[in-house]
Amino acid sequence: MAVGLTRRRSAYLAGLLARRAALLVVLLTLVFAAVDLLPGDAARSTLDRGATADALAARRAQLGLDDPLPVRFARWIGGLATGDFGVSARGEPVSAILGGHLPNTVLLAGLAFLVTMLGALALGGLSALHPGRPLDRAVSSASTVVVAIPEFVVASLLVLVFALWTGLLPAVTVTSTSGRPASASMLVLPVLALALPQIGWNTRIVRAALTDELRAPHVEAAVLDGLSPWRVLTRHVLPGALPTIAAGAATSVGMLLGGTVVVETIFNYPGVGTVLAGAVLDRDTAVVAGTTAVTGAAICAVLLSADLVRAWATGRRA
Amino acid sequence: MRRLLRFAPAVLVATLALLGPWLAPHPIDEPVTAPYAEPGGGALLGGDVLGFDVTSRLLAGGRELLLTALVIAVVVTGLAALIGTVAALRPALGRIIERVADTVMMLPTVLALLLVVLAYRGDSRGALIVAAVVVGLPYAVRVVAAAAAPVAASGFVEAAAAGGERLWWLACREVLPNLRATMLAVFGLRFIEAVYVVSVAAFLQIGPQPPAANWALMVRENGPGILLNPWAVIAPSLAIAALAITVSLATDALAVATRRQAVVPR
Repeated sequence: MAVGLTRRRSAYLAGLLARRAALLVVLLTLVFAAVDLLPGDAARSTLDRGATADALAARRAQLGLDDPLPVRFARWIGGLATGDFGVSARGEPVSAILGGHLPNTVLLAGLAFLVTMLGALALGGLSALHPGRPLDRAVSSASTVVVAIPEFVVASLLVLVFALWTGLLPAVTVTSTSGRPASASMLVLPVLALALPQIGWNTRIVRAALTDELRAPHVEAAVLDGLSPWRVLTRHVLPGALPTIAAGAATSVGMLLGGTVVVETIFNYPGVGTVLAGAVLDRDTAVVAGTTAVTGAAICAVLLSADLVRAWATGRRA
Repeated sequence: MRRLLRFAPAVLVATLALLGPWLAPHPIDEPVTAPYAEPGGGALLGGDVLGFDVTSRLLAGGRELLLTALVIAVVVTGLAALIGTVAALRPALGRIIERVADTVMMLPTVLALLLVVLAYRGDSRGALIVAAVVVGLPYAVRVVAAAAAPVAASGFVEAAAAGGERLWWLACREVLPNLRATMLAVFGLRFIEAVYVVSVAAFLQIGPQPPAANWALMVRENGPGILLNPWAVIAPSLAIAALAITVSLATDALAVATRRQAVVPR
């Protein structure tokens, strides 16, 4: 019986994994197709305007742009598996560009995610426990407001208040010689600009999930049994609300990564978003495709972990 | 009456944005002041990076944003109404639609925006609308499909289906008329998302190019001068925020109305 259950469970998990992997392959194909259709190409955009036809042809051959489409796609996908993302139009390996900038973006998005979840759990939890009170109403209106505002608007208002009027925090990021932000205070405003809209979004999800769960009969029974509020919350309410909260958090990771493109540009932050914004203007296929591939893989991994949390929580309850 | 009051701010902001270009006191592409001049004289909010009048550019910079977002929201809501209803009426097809929606949802909005806009040749506003529709459709389809499922399973639709009515008849005449409140809420949410997409695109300088007046573009191009004339950045930021917030308050009022309606037994 136990063995059968385990086997069924591992088949289920393998199915989840296969579905997320299939999604990733579809995504990579779409990315390559979209980038390959770009009007103009990397050879032209990286040479001077007056370059001769011969120089252009040589650059095209050097970048492998003359090969047929399937060959280029197979070479790109094959390279991804071995960590070879190709060479940018300026001749730098894409893996080196990503290696230099990705840690900064992971740091920024990771901190923003942490702030988002802490803020959302605290605010969502407080309003779910005191429904209809002034605090609940204030949190509800505030989250409606911040969810709707684009990150760059949040960013410019933050810069105005904290950098220009009060002078508490720096308005731009200075990069040290190691390629990292020069001081921790430079991270505060970018993290807040990314996190505030996401806190609004997740607070609503946390509040809704906890409110639904608080109404469930088993929670009522636990309260009537005289368990302490803390024990009721951690043992009886949170496990049931967890799948919904995890799904919301997984969606937020995608939105945070998208937000970095804008926020990094505003604060001149040395991350992948700044690189991507530049690469798109340069029509640099290899860089755009590599960045999207890495981002897509990261989002797949996050969605998969949200699936696993859901599987674990429902398995517990069954 | 109270519900009307919640719609008033959104209507006011939208009207101002639409009429703005005719109200502008100065031309939007001729210098009136020194670059980044402080408010004063003829320029209520000072000058921008090239000494253009910030007030005039603010009044002129909302209409295109608003109209583009409106087109996107209408197209997404219309397509989602059809696709979502069909998904609810034909569960086998619905599962495929859900898979496709799942895949498209994985792409972060900004990344999708950059890819589609660049892959599309020619008119950038058309490309922008296509990108925003592709990004927004999956969410809208899911909401519509979820709301349409109970209606599609109800007796009168089954009776109509058993009576041999065609799919489009079932979708448009039997299911959709029962989803009016849901569709209005979807439209509001998609409009807010469209404002986000269109303004982020403008900020990244996809779409309108200077010297066109556009709120998001104003934030980007006047950013370096925020110390000299903060209003050149703050005013357009507040304008985008006002548009998004007022529409989202109106949508919230709609959502409450929808919930109240859902309680009434059918």
